[in-house]
Amino acid sequence: MHIEVWLYGPLARYGGSEGKIAALVQAELPAQSTVADLLASLELPTEERGITFINGDLSAMPGLQPDLGRILNDGDRIAFSHLKSMWPFQYRHAAALTGEMQGAVQARADGGMRSRFDEEQLSPGE
Amino acid sequence: MWMLRIDMTDRSYKLEEVAERYQKLGGRGLTSTLIHDEVDPTCHPLGPNNKLVFSAGILSGTPSPSSSRISIGGKSPLTGGIKESNSGAGFAPALARMRVKAVVVEGQPAEKGAYWMVHLTWDGDKPAVEFLPAAEYVGEDLYVSYAKLYERFGKRVHVAGVGKAGELGYRNSGVAFDDMRHKPTRFSGRGGLGAVMASKGLKFVVLNSEGAPGVEYADKELFMQGAKKLRAALGEHALTKPQGALNTYGTCVLVNIINEAGAFPTRNFRTGRFAGAAKISGEAIFENNKQRMGKEIYNHACSPGCVIQCSNTIYAENGEEIVSCVEYESDWALGANCGIDDLDAIAKMVKLCNAYSLDTIETGDAIAVAMDSGLLEFGDAEGAIALIEQMGHGEPLGRILGGGTQATADAFGNPRSPAVKGQGMPAYEPRAIKGIGVTYATSTMGADHTAGYTIAPEIAGSGGKVDPLLADASKADLSRAFQKTTAMLDSTGHCLFISFAILDIPSGFEGMIEELNGMLGTHYTGDEAVAWGGEILKVERAFNEAAGLTPVDDRLPEFMKYEQLPPHDVVADVSDEIMDQVYGEL
Repeated sequence: MHIEVWLYGPLARYGGSEGKIAALVQAELPAQSTVADLLASLELPTEERGITFINGDLSAMPGLQPDLGRILNDGDRIAFSHLKSMWPFQYRHAAALTGEMQGAVQARADGGMRSRFDEEQLSPGE
Repeated sequence: MWMLRIDMTDRSYKLEEVAERYQKLGGRGLTSTLIHDEVDPTCHPLGPNNKLVFSAGILSGTPSPSSSRISIGGKSPLTGGIKESNSGAGFAPALARMRVKAVVVEGQPAEKGAYWMVHLTWDGDKPAVEFLPAAEYVGEDLYVSYAKLYERFGKRVHVAGVGKAGELGYRNSGVAFDDMRHKPTRFSGRGGLGAVMASKGLKFVVLNSEGAPGVEYADKELFMQGAKKLRAALGEHALTKPQGALNTYGTCVLVNIINEAGAFPTRNFRTGRFAGAAKISGEAIFENNKQRMGKEIYNHACSPGCVIQCSNTIYAENGEEIVSCVEYESDWALGANCGIDDLDAIAKMVKLCNAYSLDTIETGDAIAVAMDSGLLEFGDAEGAIALIEQMGHGEPLGRILGGGTQATADAFGNPRSPAVKGQGMPAYEPRAIKGIGVTYATSTMGADHTAGYTIAPEIAGSGGKVDPLLADASKADLSRAFQKTTAMLDSTGHCLFISFAILDIPSGFEGMIEELNGMLGTHYTGDEAVAWGGEILKVERAFNEAAGLTPVDDRLPEFMKYEQLPPHDVVADVSDEIMDQVYGEL
């Protein structure tokens, strides 16, 4: 199946671009491939990616990646951004999320109301 | 602390003691309360009965990080309601150090077209004002005027000023403040307050705080403890730390994200995705600068004491600076919304807007509506630049566009006007991001992307479990909570971007509350501070109601309810009942 992959900023190098602005990869994967399979084919370590979209639906954020097992469909557009990207809560409140992301944020006591999810252990000044 | 009243009718001033009601207020809380208390809501915004209030945030002038916001308030010629527009600028701490709680500009000179400047200095034991003629600066490029003013008054002053757009009475005119290099690039842009300032014959406020005593603390130890916690949180968080998201890519870091979300309004809100987005992204700005300048260039502070430092500079191929800074909203308004993917052209337009004191958002929206109406093609950068020049030169077509998004749509008979309460929408599509749609619709300010920030999930969730995905009713509850929080933050003098860090780092949030209590001698809890923000919204709402705004004005534009937005193919479907709940339960 065919997947359109957008790689932003420093991740563009995983799409063969020497610049660090953006790369577009037209990926061919076996049917039933998952996001993890796609990352493996790009040789992109999952911890290097940040905000991720599948067809415009938010599927992962730094520290919260419920999309690794998601099975992709032919024609999907998937976009990976780097760890210095951001999408503050108030600008994503009630935007479209994948089913897996909806489940992941609903399972949290804070309902996903955070700027990121990889800062949980921080307690500066202590 | 003083209240400084400046009467432009006869160019007189007086210093008053600060009334009890205003002593714990600052920034937006003070500008809005004063406008509510003193301005007839039915007055013409450009007539003698409107007032223009300047107030620094409560924490401005202290060592608190990122706390140099200056608020301006008045009745808006754009929305017909109350307006507070704030900017990060050295003007704020300088005013605070002079212990001037608010500058209230009143009246109007009988001489039409005559301008003065107010020179505010410290005179031994109190502030003093002199009125100087400003005729020589009228009609001039603000970059030229500011260079002359700094030559004349020295490098230690701070300046608030209006350019040609204000003089012409445009509803898309802002008030310019000097940046760290004394250029007119920091704007209280929204709502047409530049026209209000100019309508009073006031061209510049030149402020020299040399000799001023500095701010007073109720409990300095508590304040310092809080400031330390907040500084640590900002220095640690991935979005706000040195070489973090904002310091590296600036606010334009949002371009690719909002575009991928299908929420990047493109070609006057016809679609949510722009093919040229990556070319105008923060990543592109960083990489272009690196290529053109031969080194990595991180961003700088807009104002003294900012630790986030998110202001970029756009350099041309030849290494010369085109402009600083291009914010996400300006990049979008003059870029994607007009179908333009040429960063250098966008930077040039931002510089023109600064030179004429035009609000970049309202200007980009108005040009996009003109493009949508067939006046010129989407993507025509040269045509867009020519339209800004026509605005700056006061040509008839320029005057129509200077009236803003709604005025342009009205002039061309175009129902596709992306405005709420007459104010053009910023860079987030409310059909795709429904939460911000509720805030756009109901904000006391008109469509405003800075109206709904959040600092702690337990406060937004009223102590219970937060579930932002629940039914529409939660959207009203959350929008209300966010708007209260923002009204509070806008009063502290803090940049709203501190919220990104303190939302994730509770000690940062505690620190901000401790700073406030240390400064004011209060004992606010987080909940109480947010409730205080709610009181500010109440006076703003009361003013708007008395000015004639009704719940019918708390709606998104009709075309968004019947036109599907690609790629999600969604319409604005949050019900009127939900919109009404936001303020119905304040």
